[in-house]
Amino acid sequence: MGNKQTIFTDEQLDAYQDCTFFTRKEILRLHGRYHELAPHLVPMDYTNDPDVKVPLALIVNMPELKENPFRNRIVESFSEDGQGNLSFNDFVDMFSVLSEMAPRELKAIYAFKIYDFNVDNYICKEDLEKTLNKLTKEELTPEEVNLVCEKAIEEADLDGDSKLSFADFENMISRAPDFLSTFHIRI
Amino acid sequence: MRRMSVFPQHGTALGNLGRTANEIRQEAENSKNVLVSDLVNLSAGARFQAIRSLPMPFNERKTVRNRVNSVKLSKTILTADCRQQVSRSFRRFCASLASARQHLIIWQDTLKEIGSRFGTSVLSYFLFLKWLLQFNLFSLIINFCFITIPQIVHAPNISSTTGFRGLELLTGVGYFNQTVLFYGGYNGEVIVSKPAYNMQLAYFFTIAAYLVLCWVSLIYSMSRSFQKNFVLETGPVSGGAWRLLCSWDFSVVNEKAIQYNKNNLAIQLKESLSERLQEKNKMSLSDRIKHLSLHLLAWLLSLGLALGSCAGIYFLGTDPDLAFSFNHNPNDLRAEASTLLLPVVVSLINLIVPLLYSLISKIESYSNPRAKIYISIIRNVVLKMSVLGILCFYWLNFVPDNISCWETFVGQSVYRLLMIDFIFCLLGIFFGEFLRNVIGTMCIQSLGVPEFDIARNVLDLIYAQTLAWIGIYFSPLLPVMQVLKLFIIFYLKKISLSMNCQPPKHTGRAAQIQTVFIALLFFPSFVGVLSMVAYTVWSLKPSDQCGPFQGLDTPFQTIFHWTDSIQNFPESNWVWWIFENILRSELFYYLISLIVLVITYFLWQITQGRKQLIKTLREQIVNEGKDKAFLLNKLQNLQKERREIASYRPQDFDQTPHFNPNWTNTLPLNM
Repeated sequence: MGNKQTIFTDEQLDAYQDCTFFTRKEILRLHGRYHELAPHLVPMDYTNDPDVKVPLALIVNMPELKENPFRNRIVESFSEDGQGNLSFNDFVDMFSVLSEMAPRELKAIYAFKIYDFNVDNYICKEDLEKTLNKLTKEELTPEEVNLVCEKAIEEADLDGDSKLSFADFENMISRAPDFLSTFHIRI
Repeated sequence: MRRMSVFPQHGTALGNLGRTANEIRQEAENSKNVLVSDLVNLSAGARFQAIRSLPMPFNERKTVRNRVNSVKLSKTILTADCRQQVSRSFRRFCASLASARQHLIIWQDTLKEIGSRFGTSVLSYFLFLKWLLQFNLFSLIINFCFITIPQIVHAPNISSTTGFRGLELLTGVGYFNQTVLFYGGYNGEVIVSKPAYNMQLAYFFTIAAYLVLCWVSLIYSMSRSFQKNFVLETGPVSGGAWRLLCSWDFSVVNEKAIQYNKNNLAIQLKESLSERLQEKNKMSLSDRIKHLSLHLLAWLLSLGLALGSCAGIYFLGTDPDLAFSFNHNPNDLRAEASTLLLPVVVSLINLIVPLLYSLISKIESYSNPRAKIYISIIRNVVLKMSVLGILCFYWLNFVPDNISCWETFVGQSVYRLLMIDFIFCLLGIFFGEFLRNVIGTMCIQSLGVPEFDIARNVLDLIYAQTLAWIGIYFSPLLPVMQVLKLFIIFYLKKISLSMNCQPPKHTGRAAQIQTVFIALLFFPSFVGVLSMVAYTVWSLKPSDQCGPFQGLDTPFQTIFHWTDSIQNFPESNWVWWIFENILRSELFYYLISLIVLVITYFLWQITQGRKQLIKTLREQIVNEGKDKAFLLNKLQNLQKERREIASYRPQDFDQTPHFNPNWTNTLPLNM
C-alpha cells in the first residue's frame, strides 16, 4: 500500500511515524500541503533530506492559519531560526503539536512560547497586552486593556514576581480542561 | 518519567556562572543520556508516546529515537537485522491498522468543517450524536445477526391479516404486528440444526450482553471524561487570566466566526471588569429572603408542572375509550390514528414545558450564569425522566393485565413515541430555527439570530436514546429507526446551523458540561432503562400467545432451565456451580458491596490527603517567591551601599571579596 510512493524512504516514514502523532498517510498528505505552499521551492523527492525552508509569508496564507490572530507567533515558535521559516520537519512538528492527540503538557509548552512575544521565557505584562490587542482589536480602551492585564497577572502569578513563568502558566492550564480541545488546529 | 524542561529553571543563569562552554555541553549530553536510559526502560507503547511528547525539535527527537532503538537492539540476542525487521514490520502493521480505522470513522470532514466554523462547544453536540449513533449501530448489528436472522430463516410466521397501509409507518400496528420488528414476531423454539440454536436463550443473552456492554462503555467514558475535565476549584478559575490565555478557540478558521468570537471575548472582558469595579454589596436580609422565596416559588412551579404532565399522561393512557379500542378491530383507521394521541401529547409536553421553565427562570436572579445553566438542565431532566417514568409504570403495571401480547403493544408504543418525537424535531427545526431566524432578522430586529442552545438539543438526544434503549427488549429492530433518525438529524441540524443559528455566546466550561451530559446519559437514563428491563425480565409474566418466552412464569426462567440442562454434562458443571453457588447466593453480593465500600473510603481519604498537600505546596511557592524578592532587595541595597561608599573612598574598595590581580602591590616593601 505504501510502497508506491517515492517521496520518502521507508525509514524516513517510520521515523516520522515514531516521532510525531501522524500516520504514514497523513505525513504524505502533509507533504502535499507543504508542496502546495511553494511548488517551485519544495521538491517532490525528499529521500535525501533537502534543506528547504518555506518563508513565513507563504505559510501564514494557509487556510488553517490565515485568519488566526496568532498566526505569526505560531509559525515563529516552531521555526528553528525563530524567524518563521519552516522546514518540512518543523511544519510536521507544528501540526503534530496542534493535533488532537498531543498531550496537554506538550501543548502547554508551545502555547507558552506563542504567548511569549519578546521570547524571554516569561509572559510579562507587555506580552499580555499584545495578546489582548490581537484578540480584541479596538473594542477595549487602553485603560481597560491595562486593567485586564493587571488582573490576569494578579490571578495567575503564584510566586509574586509580577510576570508569568512557565510554572504559573502550566498551573493555569491544568485548571482549564477545555484547553486541550481549543488549542487544536485540524489539517 | 522525568520531564525534559525547555525553559531554564529559576537561577540557571546564576547556576551556569563560572562554567565553561564545554561543561555546559557535557551537562546537556548527560541529561540526554539519562533521558535515553529512562526511555529504554519503558514498555513499547509508552516509549513511543513519550518520544512523541518530547518538547524538542523534530531532528533532536529523531536522534533520541535512533539512540533508544540502537540501545534496545544491542540488548537482544537475535541478530540485529532480524530483530529490527520484526519490530519494524510490527509497528507498520499497527500503524496501518490505525489508518484503516480512520477510514471507518464517518463524517470526519463534516465534523472538521463544523468545528472550524462554529467552535468546539457546538462541535461537542455533533460528537455526542455520533457517539450515540455508534451505540445504536452496534445494537442493530448484534440483534440482527443473533436474533432476527435465525428467526427469519427458520420460522417465518408472518401472517399479516391486513395489507400494508401508509399509517403503519407512524403507528407500527397492522402489517407490522407479526413481523420481526416486534417481540411478538419471535418464537422461542429450539431451532433444529447442527448445533441446536435455542431462540429463547439467544434473545435473552443478546439483549443482556448488549446492555452489559453499554454499561461498561458508559462507565468507562464517564470516568475518562471526569478524569480529563475535573478541575480543582482552588483559586480563581473563571477570571480574566483564563479567558485571555486559555479560552481562545484555535480551531475556528472561518473569518466571520473569528470576528464573532473576538466580539464575544471583548464583551465578556468588559462585563467581568465592570463586575470587579462595582463593589459587590452584601445583600440585606430582606433581599436575601426575597430571592430565596422566588427560588422556592420557581422550583414549586416547575415540579408542579412536571407532576401535572405526568398525571395527564397517565389518565390519558388509562382512559378506556382511547386506549385499547384498536386492539379489537384492526381495520378501523380512526381508532388506529387515535393511538397517536398519547405520543403527540407527550411530545407537546416536552416542547412546551421547557419553554415555560425558561420563562420561570427569568423571575429568578442567579449569582453566576453557570448556576443558571445547571439548574435549567436539572429541571428539564426531572421533567423528561418523570414523563418516561410514568410511561414505564403504565406499561409495566397497567398494560400486562389488560392486553394479550402486551410486549408487542409496548414495543409499538415506543415506536410511536420515537416517530412522533422525530416529527416534532423536524418541525422544531423548521419553526424554531428557520422561522425564528426569519422573524428575528426581518420583522422584529431586536430579537436577532437565534442561538444554538446546546443543552436543550443534547437533552433531546438523551431522551430519544432512553426511549430507544427501553424499546430494545420489546422490539429488537428498533435501533434501525434510531439510526436513521440520528443520521437525518445530523445533516438537518448542520444545515440549519449554517443557515439559521449562531454559536452560543457563553462558551466557557464546555468540557465540564460534556462530563455532565455523559453522566446524565448514564445515571437517570441508562440506569432507569436497566432497572425497567430487569423488572420485566425478573418478575413479569410474559404473554401466553406470542413471543419467545411463551409459557414461562418469568423470562428469567430460561436461565434456570438452561442451567438445569447443562448440569448433566460433566464438562460444563463448573458453569452450573458458579451460577448456583455464587451468582444466586446473597452472601456474595454482600461481600462485594462491603469490599467496594472499603476501597471507596480508602481512595477518598487519599484524595483528601492530596488536596491538603496541594494547599501546602501552593503556600510554599508563595513563600519562596517572597523569599526571592526579599533576597533580591537585600542584594540591591548592599550593592547600592557599596557603590556609595566607593564613590567617597576609592582606596577601601578592595574589601570586596574578589581576586585582586595586583596582590603583589599589597605586600610589604621589604619582603
